[in-house]
Amino acid sequence: MKKLLLFLSFLLFFPAVPVIAGTAPTISKEELKAQLGSENLVLLDVRSGRDWSSSEFKITGAIRSPGSDFATWSKLYPKDKTIVLYCA
Amino acid sequence: MKNSFFLSLALGTGWLISPESLVIAGNAAGQMGVLTIPVLAIVAILLGISGKCIQQAKLVGNTGSDILLLDKLTGSIPATAILLTSCVPLTILAATALLVSCGYTFNEVFLYWFPNFGFSFLLLALLTLIQLLPERLLLRVQLGFVLTTVTALLFLLLYGISSAHPVMKSVQHSPEVTTFTSALLFLLFAGSSLTEKKQSPLLIPIAGLLLFSLWTVTSLQYVSPQRLASSTIPYMTVARKIMGDPGRQIMGVAVITGSCAAITTLLLICRRILNNQTSSDNSSRTLLSPGKQRWLLPPLLAIISGTLMATGLAGDELLEVLLRGALILWLFQYTCLCLAALLQIRQEKQQLTMAGSVCCIVLLFSLSFLIFKDPHRSELLIFIISMFAAANIAAVGLFYINQRNTSKESKETTSTKENTP
Repeated sequence: MKKLLLFLSFLLFFPAVPVIAGTAPTISKEELKAQLGSENLVLLDVRSGRDWSSSEFKITGAIRSPGSDFATWSKLYPKDKTIVLYCA
Repeated sequence: MKNSFFLSLALGTGWLISPESLVIAGNAAGQMGVLTIPVLAIVAILLGISGKCIQQAKLVGNTGSDILLLDKLTGSIPATAILLTSCVPLTILAATALLVSCGYTFNEVFLYWFPNFGFSFLLLALLTLIQLLPERLLLRVQLGFVLTTVTALLFLLLYGISSAHPVMKSVQHSPEVTTFTSALLFLLFAGSSLTEKKQSPLLIPIAGLLLFSLWTVTSLQYVSPQRLASSTIPYMTVARKIMGDPGRQIMGVAVITGSCAAITTLLLICRRILNNQTSSDNSSRTLLSPGKQRWLLPPLLAIISGTLMATGLAGDELLEVLLRGALILWLFQYTCLCLAALLQIRQEKQQLTMAGSVCCIVLLFSLSFLIFKDPHRSELLIFIISMFAAANIAAVGLFYINQRNTSKESKETTSTKENTP
């Protein structure tokens, strides 16, 4: 029984290990604040489902573009603009 | 007596005080305005009357368990399947959804640097370990979750009512009572039948009516109906408007403990359903042995919920559809129990109450509205049908194992008797 409990605890805790993020360019909160309202900025909220609905932090003016629809919305925005994706 | 009353309240209100219920109530308040209160009163009265019918049917038919009551309406395998579909999918999906919400709340309200999913998994592990406690202790922990949540909510509400705040004037908004939103209010009371047998079936509906009436009035005083109706987290918006940052923190505590209370209640419902006796014979077995109910079921359900979270269901709109489907399955089981109760009362030549029949009709209408007026009804129907198919297979499996164990035991008893000089 002890072994079973140990195994179950491992299974429960294992996914909690933080995932190591890739090296995508990031923008700080202050940098983004300074650019808000600029015509050159496209701010996309790529969260979907409960990731979006449970969050209290939703940036005014951000366009909801769920990650699952990437193929559709990625063609909509001009490449010469600064496109910021907000995911968490 | 007092102890039993509070434990009953703690068990039955688990889902009622969860953030999911606060969202349903908040959106309804936004859409129907103060008319939510009379609609909620009707829902509470209907649930109270149907609960009384079920209680009376169990008494006159001498059937203590839900399976035996449903057995007369559907037969034993479908009866078990109906009970399984009412609790297992709801426990798994609600745990997934609630834990994700808790993760975000903890991250955004308390510790910004703490990973939200890390918190969700830690809470899942904690709630699973709590299930392994002896039932007496587990019920006290549940009482602690419920008391903390109710205290936090009441503090916010009373502070909100007592503060001098200008009443929010609804601009170009006419409250409208819709059948779909009214039917949704039934879903606030999932798991409310999990009370001690001697308690009045009106206890939880009345508690819910009082809490949500207060909630509706206060919410409408602080937040515009349009915003309440469209918000995905109306409870947090209301809390922030009432008290600012401290309000968010108090609501944060209520969200986390309310989710813990809801998940503990749902896991206990699963255990109680599997504790049903398979026949009216007093010596008959339960669907799952008590040891397995405690040691196997909670970790198994927790692993499934954990896997769903890890595979990204939380980030999928499908989770909301499936959760609604699971709640509808609970309401379906409740409606079946009500129908079976009426049948039982009629068979025993007891007086069939008009109110009981009306309850059944309203429940059936609400069910059809919730399914057929849902924007994702095809996905919802596929989910409901597949859950029934899976539950029927599981029910057959449980009955097979049960019969095998019973015949094994009777053989052993016979051989022991033969060997006795």
